[in-house]
Amino acid sequence: MELNDKLEILADAAKYDASCASSGAPKRSSEGKDGLGATNGMGICHSYTPDGRCVSLLKILLTNFCVYDCQYCVNRRTSNVPRARFTVQEVVKLTVDFYLRNYIDGLFLSSGIIQSADYTMEQLVAVARELREVHQFRGYIHLKTIPDADPALIEAAGRYADRLSVNIELPTQDSVQRLAPEKNVHTIKLAMGNIRLKLDEKENEPKAPKFAPAGQSTQMIVGADASDDARILTTAETLYGSYKLKRVYYSAFSPIPESPKSVPLAPPPLLREHRLYQADFLLRSYGFQAKELLPDSGNLPLDIDPKLAWALTHREHFPMDLNRAEPQMIARIPGIGIRNAQRIVELRRMRQVRWADLARLRCSMKKVAPFIVTADYRPAQDTTPSDTLRKAMADVPQQMALFPELQAA
Amino acid sequence: MPPTAVGELVNDSGSKVVKEVEVASAVEVASAVEVEVEVEVEVEAASAVEVASEAGSKAVTESASETASKLASEETHNPDERSDPPPSNFQPGAQPRISRKLMEMLQGAACYRAHDRWAFLYRVLWRWHSGEHDVISMADVDGTRLHHMVRAARHEEHDMHAYLRFRERPEEAGAPRFVAWFEPAHDVLPQVAQHFAKRMGKTSWMIATPEATVLWDGARLHTGEALARSAADFDDAGESLWLTYYRSIFNPARLNADIMHGHIRQRFWKNLPEAAVVPHMVTQAAAGARKVGQLDTVGKRGGTTIPISSEKAAPERQQPSSLDECRRCDLWQNATQAVAGQGARRAKIMLVGEQPGDQEDLAGKPFVGPAGDLLDKAMDEAALDRRTVYVTNAVKHFKWEPRGKRRLHKTPAQKEVMACRYWLETELETVAPDVLVALGSTALKSILQTGSVTMKDYMGAPFEHEGRWVVVTYHPAYALRVPDRESRQAAFAAIVEALKTAQQLASGGTAPGL
Repeated sequence: MELNDKLEILADAAKYDASCASSGAPKRSSEGKDGLGATNGMGICHSYTPDGRCVSLLKILLTNFCVYDCQYCVNRRTSNVPRARFTVQEVVKLTVDFYLRNYIDGLFLSSGIIQSADYTMEQLVAVARELREVHQFRGYIHLKTIPDADPALIEAAGRYADRLSVNIELPTQDSVQRLAPEKNVHTIKLAMGNIRLKLDEKENEPKAPKFAPAGQSTQMIVGADASDDARILTTAETLYGSYKLKRVYYSAFSPIPESPKSVPLAPPPLLREHRLYQADFLLRSYGFQAKELLPDSGNLPLDIDPKLAWALTHREHFPMDLNRAEPQMIARIPGIGIRNAQRIVELRRMRQVRWADLARLRCSMKKVAPFIVTADYRPAQDTTPSDTLRKAMADVPQQMALFPELQAA
Repeated sequence: MPPTAVGELVNDSGSKVVKEVEVASAVEVASAVEVEVEVEVEVEAASAVEVASEAGSKAVTESASETASKLASEETHNPDERSDPPPSNFQPGAQPRISRKLMEMLQGAACYRAHDRWAFLYRVLWRWHSGEHDVISMADVDGTRLHHMVRAARHEEHDMHAYLRFRERPEEAGAPRFVAWFEPAHDVLPQVAQHFAKRMGKTSWMIATPEATVLWDGARLHTGEALARSAADFDDAGESLWLTYYRSIFNPARLNADIMHGHIRQRFWKNLPEAAVVPHMVTQAAAGARKVGQLDTVGKRGGTTIPISSEKAAPERQQPSSLDECRRCDLWQNATQAVAGQGARRAKIMLVGEQPGDQEDLAGKPFVGPAGDLLDKAMDEAALDRRTVYVTNAVKHFKWEPRGKRRLHKTPAQKEVMACRYWLETELETVAPDVLVALGSTALKSILQTGSVTMKDYMGAPFEHEGRWVVVTYHPAYALRVPDRESRQAAFAAIVEALKTAQQLASGGTAPGL
């Protein structure tokens, strides 16, 4: 099979993994050295595809032959898809060629399970080793980790890769058992715990051998089972706390050809995935807890973002006086992000914060208006009921165009 | 050594500086009262702008960066910078002092193409020099513009890192092996050249823009005049693989072209090879009947299923111990694994703690975290060999709640303690110790099977329970977290004492005080 055919099949098979980040690697440079590649800690998106997703890495499977039968996956053994397998040399060639043309920042390599978990993991490690040791490749490498593989192989993977990831796949143990019968939450968690112990070890002993400097991440599929957002966010929170994950990626279940009856025919709204990412951001960076955002079971509202939803149910904190409020509370005001919260705190050391300052900081004025007090402003109707505010601020429903994408094109 | 391209660029913009600053100062001076003095100062200030702009294009010429760093270091040596009152009498010939942050912002903003950029930067510098230090605040009118310029230039640099595309030239054509054409909106070529020098190693390349050309020969950068557009003339077979990848990695079931256009600005598309295939991809996805993620050309190929039975497909895993599968309470859900006891099979002494902590949960062994270290120390002090005892916990799964990105230990509820009692009993039967050391109140409650006991009633007074001695003391974690040093030492001493007592009882002695 031609390289081009293999690439078509094995990139198509890899697109369901949402992660394409290339950030967090230590600074590396090839200036004046043999080999190629540099990293500076910040990832670069080299392109965007028409689904709005960033292309930062060459994201491919080593092979889409797979003995597992995960119901939501296009590559499951009972799926009638064309199959292909790259050689180690082919992946290396593609990575180097793409890198030199500035299409990508590195490689994200995953694989179907062939023969055994150990054998598959060995193949993935072999590619990374070849790139790093033979070609002196200093770009970004993300390796998918097979949870049942020998810890020694995971350690080797961490020596070459910037990031490792083990997919949790689904939010509950029951769903994994039902939809991914060959996978096992217990071994997935053990693998993540094992990676975290290695990361801790490296942090405490800087002289220890290199280990995945960009940390670990995971992915959860949304909408393939009946789990609600509350369940998903609690699971994410548990994973962040337990395994020091850099990110949990949420991947809205994408319908696949000849979909088995065990998974839904229709995809969840993409907006749901978006709201989960917003909520996840509030967990990671804003100090929110999952139970604050979703105290009971249920889903995040689709019409408003999770921070606004929180503010509307916690009117007792508002309106908040920007000249007095605690810095971490300012970031909880809808329409004010972390950066602007910092700027406001810096500014008020010099002088009183006024309404016009917020406009200059490009805060969303309509959104902040009911929630803040400044030196020269106080909301006229701070008694406006929350549901009225919600209607006013909800993303305006739009009539759908007949052929929006054709018009856009 | 030939002058580098970067050096020439700097000289070029350097002369611009002088011209435009002159104009600006003339305007300012007209309205000034102390004309003579201010003119002197402005000349100095102008030279600072010049330095800033030179450094702005990240000059590799040594003198410029030296001057810049000198200027910056002078500033850092001035501790009163913030509280300095506006200078009332300017000294002729005085160097303007600016903060490192302002220096960086001037450098960044100097790359922004605008007809009045030097005059504007001069105004910022002037206002700073007059004591208006909030000129660099986002809440200031000039500050907003300054920030905007810095951001736009940085953004342009970033876009050029992202969307520049090299084409490979045939081997026999010689250096440069890779060529690119790009049309930046701001003067960011010098710093972008540095980026690619780091990225490409010893591979030679050339970047052509409408204003200038940079060549990397594998060892150093050379700059030249603008060349005619040439990159389009080369046919690069590697590009077709990229287009294949680009088409395949796209998920047609998630079509959302607006987001894509929101990320890549219109002016970049004409030089991106993938631009040629985007319209077709969008129409296909929008009009096609297949609302699935798979690319249609992949779907049209013949497929294969993999004939293997589900029994053979499942990986061989160690049979989970029945403790691992324990669902007597809900604690298993947020824990990594159950942590069973560890130690001598027929130990005379069994230490019972509360529950595994963060480290124990990951490692699967009891007392390996900070509390475990303290316990080891106490055992050393009591001359008790850890290998001769059995160490376990009242509750086998870690109970915790999220606090930021950490796991905060949470005391197990009595019903969880009772649910886990089953496993402790199993261990008691197998190990059959003579003495139990209850480390903390949860262990005591588990041993006595009641929630309504307090430690202080049993501390320091060993008692017999169900045919075994029970010694009660603090949990090592208590001796770590109690705030004052004296109490910590006292708690540690109490643990050591309890371990000694346990040893005495285990060797057939009587408890002190009985």
